[in-house]
Amino acid sequence: MFRRRQPADADAFGAEVLRYLEPLYATAMRLTRNRADAEDLVQDTLVKAFRFSDKFERGTNLRAWLSTILHNTWRNRVRDAGREAVEVDSTRVEEAEAADGSATSETPEQLLLRNTLDGDLRAALDDLPDVFRQAVWMRDVEEFSYAEIAKALDVPIGTVMSRISRGRRMLLDQLRKTKATA
Amino acid sequence: MSECRRIGESLAAYADDMLKPAERSGVERHLAACPECRKHADTERGARRLLRHSSQQLLNEPLPPGLRTRCEALARERSATPLARLGPWWRVRLVPVLLTVVVMIFGASAFFSIATRSSDALLAAQLTADHSKCFKLLGPPDGTSADARNIERMLLEQYGWQIHVPASSAEDDVQLIGARRCLYGDGLVPHVMYRVHGQDVSLFVLPGTARKPDDLVTLGHRSQIWSRDGSTFVLVSAADAGGMANASRYVMREAR
Repeated sequence: MFRRRQPADADAFGAEVLRYLEPLYATAMRLTRNRADAEDLVQDTLVKAFRFSDKFERGTNLRAWLSTILHNTWRNRVRDAGREAVEVDSTRVEEAEAADGSATSETPEQLLLRNTLDGDLRAALDDLPDVFRQAVWMRDVEEFSYAEIAKALDVPIGTVMSRISRGRRMLLDQLRKTKATA
Repeated sequence: MSECRRIGESLAAYADDMLKPAERSGVERHLAACPECRKHADTERGARRLLRHSSQQLLNEPLPPGLRTRCEALARERSATPLARLGPWWRVRLVPVLLTVVVMIFGASAFFSIATRSSDALLAAQLTADHSKCFKLLGPPDGTSADARNIERMLLEQYGWQIHVPASSAEDDVQLIGARRCLYGDGLVPHVMYRVHGQDVSLFVLPGTARKPDDLVTLGHRSQIWSRDGSTFVLVSAADAGGMANASRYVMREAR
């Protein structure tokens, strides 16, 4: 189970952690939307990961463990900066859905087939309000469970599901608009 | 609660195929009869499929220059011998904590004194703490050089700070290695990082404040303070660092 790491272990642990730098940085970029803050966030995450390496349970998913530290760190930073986002931005969802019909009649499957560019997808994600972006990213890109997301974000599971649901709808709406104006 | 609203709460789990069979058939019955909810459900499934389809690309963001090297340095510190493992703990935890305590003591003394000298000592102590923290925790590695114009652009675009950053100067053995937004001290300030004769040197810029020039030693570090055009500049280096005279003159002349 848990045991204090010896130096040889620490070497291996360090090397293993470094394998996940790209996904950690990608997640940090989507959360912060800014390179300098993303770099800070990744480095703070690694400092914590190395400090608390004896808390990592061998054989479990290291990437998920690191990512949870990163999301926790970001949540605390946002909270400390007094930037806690509005719980539910329902006006924006409703506006988005009202505009739904006016954009294009393309179905989600057609959008998929037309091979949405990763850059468009990143831009659409970045356009989501923070809480929706983080929930959707954790669920659909990092594939965390609802319970894991709820724990990392310190909100009830119902809130997580509602954020994922609204976030997904807003995301596709944004992509439809991008396609319509392209 | 209306039927649509109740179904709406299950749509995330429906798109994720996480509903129990009975719940799933209930949702599907409603969707068959309600075009509005059907549209939401389709949209949600589409977004989910799109994201999962692209997740590998989305997670593969190229690292900015220097980040991997800095992270490798963090890993190396961690994997040192057991005795030396006190090193990171000292540097990462205890030093910032001690410096913070000292800063608080200076803060308290400044509160009771209106002497300018004390105010400079407080400023110097805060920035020395930032200097140590940034270099120890996040400092770029040896051999990494940065372009002054790129750094100016980054400071302007990301933080709205318009400053002239002195570039590397081989003649004065000044190497510009990076800049960041410093999160400590009295608010957020640009922190430009240099290496001079192998020593860590910091230039802090405090926009919108002017102070009388000062030169003092705090916490084993020398702080040279000067003002120009309504901004205050502070150059922080180890007090015993040799060969700093030319480098200091160069930075003081160039910084705007």
